[in-house]
Amino acid sequence: MIEIGLGIIALYLLVGIFIAIPFVFAGAKKVDPGAVEGTWGFKLLIIPGAAALWPLILKRWMGKAHPTECSAHRRAARR
Amino acid sequence: MSVSYQAVGWNAFKKKYDLLLWAGILLYLAIFSAVGLALNPAATAEILLIRATGTAAIFLLHMILCVGPAARLDKRWLPVLYNRRHMGVSMFLLGLIHAVIVVLTYHAGADLNPVLSIFVSDAGSTVGTFPFQAFGFLALVILFLMAATSHDFWLANLTAPVWKTLHMLVYVAYAFLIVHVVFGVLQSETHPGYLALLVVGFVLVTGLHLLSGAREKALDRGRDQDVAEGYVDVCHIDEIEDNRARIVSLSGERVAVFKYEGKISVVSNACQHQNGPLGEGKFVDGCITCPWHGFQYLPETGQSPPPFTEKIPTFNVKLEAGRILVDPVPNPAGTRVEPAVF
Repeated sequence: MIEIGLGIIALYLLVGIFIAIPFVFAGAKKVDPGAVEGTWGFKLLIIPGAAALWPLILKRWMGKAHPTECSAHRRAARR
Repeated sequence: MSVSYQAVGWNAFKKKYDLLLWAGILLYLAIFSAVGLALNPAATAEILLIRATGTAAIFLLHMILCVGPAARLDKRWLPVLYNRRHMGVSMFLLGLIHAVIVVLTYHAGADLNPVLSIFVSDAGSTVGTFPFQAFGFLALVILFLMAATSHDFWLANLTAPVWKTLHMLVYVAYAFLIVHVVFGVLQSETHPGYLALLVVGFVLVTGLHLLSGAREKALDRGRDQDVAEGYVDVCHIDEIEDNRARIVSLSGERVAVFKYEGKISVVSNACQHQNGPLGEGKFVDGCITCPWHGFQYLPETGQSPPPFTEKIPTFNVKLEAGRILVDPVPNPAGTRVEPAVF
């Protein structure tokens, strides 16, 4: 049981690495203008996070909208 | 608050902070190893390193957990809070070194997968066979997630509330690590001093959180607010120091009522960066400045000065006989509102 769980986690991270590398070079600048001229150090630093959260970054990469913060004041704001 | 992301937004303070942090860590590792070797000459280098990195990581985790509530209770802790993420990443690296040496020493070289071995080597229900290593592994996974998402890129792309929720998992990691230590090293090191240190750390962490929580609750309770024509009477202008703010709860969240240059402006209290308490900051160089990481906003618009792009909700405000009246309905983030002039 534990072996299967660890295998699934390893597979998940392997897929994540394959998605994270193209993401830091192409996807990040699409989802965030601050990443357009991001340094090599920045690209290197976000690889582990991108590999761990790949379903989320894939969704952002394929989508259009930049995420907006959701808070009580932002929800209650006049339209 | 960077136009283009860098690996680290260095400044003189951060350099000094990291230098002190790593000098302290290396000094601790050296002293721990030297004292350990003097007390137990038979100890191997691996054992000394496992224990030195493990205790250093646990000590840093306590510091990290204490500094947040400590800064709410006493502003002198704010400089330590300012670069807490580097302390967190350093703590994760120490935990990772600890785990790698454990795996190489106790789990590698056999037929069994070393990671699987962590889970099956202690899998009983008695104190002696309790799977304490699995708890350490799971805590390390949480700390990895936190370290991996510590860059501002993740704050902007997950948004502060989601990022903060993810980073709240540190309390789960702390609980796992307490179990890891109690059922692990404390089973072989039975001197009561070690257990006492862990208990003191736990009491300090929970005590500071309870104290600061009680203070925050009192702030939210506030006074009875008079409502006139939809506007809420929050206080008299003389109750706010120049270039400072009064924090009050309105529309389900806190707002910061800033007094500066003979004017009053009201903005949502949560900084867009890490939801830091803007109302505990100051008005510096024409901007509301977050006390946590120095993110800035123009008081009339709630926007960061160009070329930065952060925006927070603003509130309509007026003065009547020196009383500050605030419209509780927020304006969309970045909306210009004329300040009340006195």
